[in-house]
Amino acid sequence: MPDFLLEIGVEELPSSFVRSGLRSMEAAARRLLTQHRLEAEVGVAGTARRLALQLRGLPKAQPPREETLQGPPWAAAFKDGEPTRAALGFAKKHGVSVGALERVTTPKGDYVSVHIREEGRPTGAVLGELLAELCGRITFPKTMRWGEGEFAFGRPVHWIVALLDDAVVPFEFAGVASDRQTRGHRFLAPESFPLADAGDYASALASAHVVVATDARRARMLELLTRAAEELGGVLAEDPFLVEECVSLVEEPFVVPGSFEPGFLELPDEVVVSVMRDHQRYFAVRSSDGALLPRYLNVVNTAADPERIAKGNDRVLRARLKDAQFFVAEDLKVVEASGFAPWRGKLDSVVFQRKLGTVGAKVQRIQSLAREFAPQVGVDPADAEKAADLCKADLESLIVFEFPELQGTMGRFYAERVGVEAPVAAAIEEHYQPAGAQDEVPPSALGALLGVADRVDTLVGCFLIGQQPKGNADPFGLRRAALGIVRIAFEGAIDVDLEGWVRASAKQYGALAEGKEEALTALREFFDARLRVWLKDRYPRDLVDACISAWRTEAGGRSLRDLRDRIVALERLRDTAHYGPLAVAFKRAHNITKEVQGGPVDPALLLEPAERELARVFAEVQPKVDERTEAGDYAGALQLVAERLRDPIDTFFEGVFVMVDDARLRDNRLSLLKGIADCVNRIVHFHLLQA
Amino acid sequence: MTFQELILALERFWADHGCVVGQPYNSEVGAGTFNPHTFLRAIGPEPWNVAYVEPSRRPTDGRYGDNPNRLQQFHQYQVILKPSPIDIQDLYLESLRAIGTDPLHHDIRFVEDDWESPTLGAWGLGWQVWLDGLEISQFTYFQQCGGIDCKPISGELTYGLERIAMYLQDVDDVYDLVYSRSGAGTVYYGDLFKRAEWEWSTYNFERADVPLHKRLFDDCEAQCMRMLGLRAEKGKGGSLAWEPWADPEQNADAPLQRLVLPAYDCVIKCSHYFNVLDARGAISVTERQRYIGRVRHLARACAEAWYAQREALGFPLLRPASAADRAS
Repeated sequence: MPDFLLEIGVEELPSSFVRSGLRSMEAAARRLLTQHRLEAEVGVAGTARRLALQLRGLPKAQPPREETLQGPPWAAAFKDGEPTRAALGFAKKHGVSVGALERVTTPKGDYVSVHIREEGRPTGAVLGELLAELCGRITFPKTMRWGEGEFAFGRPVHWIVALLDDAVVPFEFAGVASDRQTRGHRFLAPESFPLADAGDYASALASAHVVVATDARRARMLELLTRAAEELGGVLAEDPFLVEECVSLVEEPFVVPGSFEPGFLELPDEVVVSVMRDHQRYFAVRSSDGALLPRYLNVVNTAADPERIAKGNDRVLRARLKDAQFFVAEDLKVVEASGFAPWRGKLDSVVFQRKLGTVGAKVQRIQSLAREFAPQVGVDPADAEKAADLCKADLESLIVFEFPELQGTMGRFYAERVGVEAPVAAAIEEHYQPAGAQDEVPPSALGALLGVADRVDTLVGCFLIGQQPKGNADPFGLRRAALGIVRIAFEGAIDVDLEGWVRASAKQYGALAEGKEEALTALREFFDARLRVWLKDRYPRDLVDACISAWRTEAGGRSLRDLRDRIVALERLRDTAHYGPLAVAFKRAHNITKEVQGGPVDPALLLEPAERELARVFAEVQPKVDERTEAGDYAGALQLVAERLRDPIDTFFEGVFVMVDDARLRDNRLSLLKGIADCVNRIVHFHLLQA
Repeated sequence: MTFQELILALERFWADHGCVVGQPYNSEVGAGTFNPHTFLRAIGPEPWNVAYVEPSRRPTDGRYGDNPNRLQQFHQYQVILKPSPIDIQDLYLESLRAIGTDPLHHDIRFVEDDWESPTLGAWGLGWQVWLDGLEISQFTYFQQCGGIDCKPISGELTYGLERIAMYLQDVDDVYDLVYSRSGAGTVYYGDLFKRAEWEWSTYNFERADVPLHKRLFDDCEAQCMRMLGLRAEKGKGGSLAWEPWADPEQNADAPLQRLVLPAYDCVIKCSHYFNVLDARGAISVTERQRYIGRVRHLARACAEAWYAQREALGFPLLRPASAADRAS
């Protein structure tokens, strides 16, 4: 079973390019192999300097293709024994002569057919033809041109290895002909050397200082980092983002520890970590009790002279920390003298968006919204007002100007320094949360309130001026803002009634919002779409639809927590044995009574024991279910429904025929079912579930 | 290695590798890219290899001579290789050896860093080069210049001379750099520039005349347009149109009648006046975008005019190498 290797040697790719390059390479390979009737185990590996595709267990040749294809009706293909254009076209399409066309008789009449038998071609020949196309399907976040500017790729292409076992598969891509010459580590093994066999790839590169498999490289890097942290008497600060960055930056990982003056630890931890991580890609080291150590770990590509490397890096880090220290000291001078007022004042001349006014105006809107909604979420309006007033002030600090990623964090730090109450200070930081999919939602109600106010203000404002996201362009991060609101309501400290917020926010915009009902409708649809996308990543599609539908009809689609509770309740039910049968039964009850008016059930007309039993149990259970539904205790309501109604309704549908000729009996049974369907529909629209 | 030896070593290296050794431009530029050796020559099909020092002014980076790393004027060593040779990275690493830095004994990394100049309408992809964690160079493949797609592509290498020298001389304060050393004595970087940093910082942040700089900006903009034969199109958000005499569709000789080089000098001036006004805190956020847009419109017009002029001249540098060239 032959193995195949494709390696594209390039100049240093950014780590996101390595990831997207390998992903698209693998997808393209699978698609093209299927198209060309080749089966193999597909694998990819790569570093900043190479993207590799490995195919294992290929056949020596394609399997032969043998099939009979039906063409146009015989009568349309041959007129007076002469082939028509239809016949000629069909023959040409399948590469046969008209003489090869046969007549087949089918129940629908006589048709032209052709029997095709194509020998399988040798795998090498097939690969030779598809490789250029495969390379062309590799995608990157951005492509570039180089040299004469004729080709585009993630970075300039230097060499291509294409080996089927020990034989070169010739093809050309980006002006480079395939060969067996590869290269090792840029500095430790710079000479180009031949690969004897596709199967030798990983081991040959390993001896040239390249750990080509990403997993192996990551594992080695983490092992080195962990050990180095231990040697420094600490533990490695976990940082998945940094791990993925660094694993693509080096071909053979080495770790060089470095240090800085302990005095810098007076800076907030976040500042130190930010300087190290975002600017220098160093890992932080913490002591066992979580305190930062004045040490760092640097993943490097060569480490012949670790002391020299550490010395250089220490110097860079010291300069950067000194800058940070200077900025913090200058900022503290401002806040200790005059509080946040000077910064807050400056925001009145910083433009947020031309048509939406200054950041200062935005802060005022956030403030009004926060004050208005504070009582609903159990927050003191005075706290809300104060936190809102301070929440953007740190944008004017020197440290945030230099390190934008520290917005909020520094606001909290400075606020604490000047004696702002802890919950208010914390809310300044929290209102930016969640900053991404990995980030937590604001822990406090005050932080959550500010976070929602800020995001709603941005969403409403941008929609009012027609700045909604288009295609990939979302300059104001509105998708993220919408998602943040959903997550705050689902996971966080406060509920959100989006409709109420949107109306209140539009009011804040005054004249700008007049006659813009359409824009707000677009925003509601946008939000709804984001909500569904988020939910469908987490729950089955039908479950989401069933809950949203009931939420809209019963709760006006207002409280997001109400939706969450319905979903959680239904999810819980789904894990029980009741779920399938109940879904089927309620769906039946709903469908059969869709057109029915319903009415009181007449006990005298209940003849069958099964219907009497169902009516009895339902009459007993209904008030309790309704009461729980009313109170928003959907889990409790569904539990009751499941425990009490499942058996009687199953028995009913097994033994009772609803659509009898006697109209009085039939209507009475329909009324009973209608009552049940209405009762459960208030919780979840079962009929939308795939049973 | 003194500061000037560093410059001399790079000059020698790149001269040996086929570059014209150019000179700094005699006008205030923010980076070597503004020098016509780069901005204009990167446009169009003609091959071009050049290397030069560029004293670069960044008014907002001034620190009155107090900060050991930040300067309002620093020195770039700029190399343009067009088309970018396939071994450009190897050449760059070899140049590091020429200044006494053996990559094997350091950690050298090519870290993603895409470059964009909104005023020049130019962008490219490439890296920062890190030497033991210190960014010592920018490495860019120009994709667009003055709004025109580059073909062939220029490779741009920009060395940060002060940083490299500080590393080589192992000093923590830029003013302690040895600029030159000879029988006549040792001259330090501080001897040359410390006072200058204080004066220019004071000028840029405190004393530069704001109305004067606004006027100079407006005048240079108008002058640039006159040299190119441009007028502002009404109601098109500042976009520009050719006067009849400068419009190739109405005057076949227009490409050679437009004065591209004086016009481009005005672009450089406008950009600098804008930087001073910015440092002076005289430009609001909204105005900022407008100023940048105005410079970009001019830069694009110069780029277009330059291309048309070189085309009208038959792209002189496309001539094949002569027998004498090859013999040398």
